[in-house]
Amino acid sequence: MNKIHQLFKGNKQKAVFPIIGADHCAYLKKTTLAKVARKAKELADALEYAFRLYRYDIILIFSDPYVEAEALGCQIDWEPFPKILSRRKNSGNDRTGIIIETAERLKRRVDAPIFVSIKGPFSLASFLGGTETFFKELIIEEEKIKEMIAEASEFQIRYLRSLLSLGVNIFIGDPCASASLISPKFFLKFAYQPLLRIIGEIKNNGLIVALHICGNTKPIIPFLDNLGCDILSLEDIKIETKTPKMGGVATNTIFFGGEEKIEKEVLEAKRIPSCSIIATSCDVPVTTPPEHIKKMIETAREERDG
Amino acid sequence: MTVAELKEAIIRLDRKKVEELTTQLLKGSAKAEEILNDGLIAGMREVGELFARKEYFVPEVLLAADCFYIAFNLITPLLKAKKGKEKGKIVIGVVQGDIHDIGKNIVKVMLEANGYEVIDLGRDVPHHRFVKAVREEKPKVLALSALMTTTMLGMADIIQMLKEEKLREEVKVIIGGAATSAEFASKIGADGYGEDATAAVKIIESLTIE
Repeated sequence: MNKIHQLFKGNKQKAVFPIIGADHCAYLKKTTLAKVARKAKELADALEYAFRLYRYDIILIFSDPYVEAEALGCQIDWEPFPKILSRRKNSGNDRTGIIIETAERLKRRVDAPIFVSIKGPFSLASFLGGTETFFKELIIEEEKIKEMIAEASEFQIRYLRSLLSLGVNIFIGDPCASASLISPKFFLKFAYQPLLRIIGEIKNNGLIVALHICGNTKPIIPFLDNLGCDILSLEDIKIETKTPKMGGVATNTIFFGGEEKIEKEVLEAKRIPSCSIIATSCDVPVTTPPEHIKKMIETAREERDG
Repeated sequence: MTVAELKEAIIRLDRKKVEELTTQLLKGSAKAEEILNDGLIAGMREVGELFARKEYFVPEVLLAADCFYIAFNLITPLLKAKKGKEKGKIVIGVVQGDIHDIGKNIVKVMLEANGYEVIDLGRDVPHHRFVKAVREEKPKVLALSALMTTTMLGMADIIQMLKEEKLREEVKVIIGGAATSAEFASKIGADGYGEDATAAVKIIESLTIE
């Protein structure tokens, strides 16, 4: 039995998790991400609030995509949504301690598997270099790019070790490694080895690793399957993989509804044997109506398979 | 040294060669219009096709765009009439809260290479600036981009604001960006969706046929 099935072996149905980050949790609590993301207590409270409201099967500590980039010196603007204002400067505002403390708090308070979101080294390096420049330099400054990715990898390994010592699972997001953006050749050349190293580190600690890559992933599935992660979070879960998958409900569907469409997509996902967790295809948009999320979870838990 | 070589240098993403060839061609007998049409535009069209066939990806297209602008900036002072006005004006930008402008920049260069005049509002653009640009610039198309699920919702607000200002009938609205889809475009009342830069140009061409 693979680790994902083992994790949810008590469940009658497949596990369900709409990928809910701190921004939607803040929205539910009628506050802002800027207010919850910079204090461990606030972040833990917001994540726990959404978890208890919806009662999904996983709790994901996902504050925003730029935790590590900010720690490495990028300047973040928080309003209305977090974004990188400037590339790396000498010293950063390190929020990794907030994430670690949030994980500690939630471990004490929540009886569900905890995953912490980290960035894949390729995507983190792209944030540090400015994505457009970074992409161009993949072609014309290969050595420089490899050094940046190596630096991002070293940072992630150190951060990861702190997280793994808490016994939390890891959800790697590597959006810039998508085949919608770079060729499979570049994925193999630049993104694959750093991911392999991180995934190996997690598995050596006996913890579970999920990998999320947005957009088109079909051309890189053989590489993703070889990475050895426990579950792949993909936009299209109908693609055949050796690795179990999570997904099934499109971002548009969870945001716009209606209930029939949500139900249809959940039931379709339930019928896919390799789909182990019914999830959204990417993170839930901030202002998604809670009744849509409730409908997704309710349908996933119903004892029928469509 | 020929315009065909310049086209080839763009396709091969060789910025240095593009600059050298453009400079030499201008010193020789080539006309700026010929360099533009048979070199730059032809080269970018080929790059667009390679992108559509998934032989080129975003890094390659970004470098090709650099090549295009290196040469375009050299020939611009010599162009008799600014190219583009005959096919119409497009206002483009990335919606508020979103700074991911690579896709928008690629669409912009593809549109310019295809003969449109592009007013680029940049990234993280407040909604009211799109509305103001539609009112003042009177473009044929407003092209909105968003990468993130958080920011894509702003597109619906912009369309609503255009309706409230009685400008919606004056302009076609297309959207694009990783978070968006044809279904999302339809839900928010946009006129079209560009899955990538090549598709965006095709849709704009179909929307702007007189």
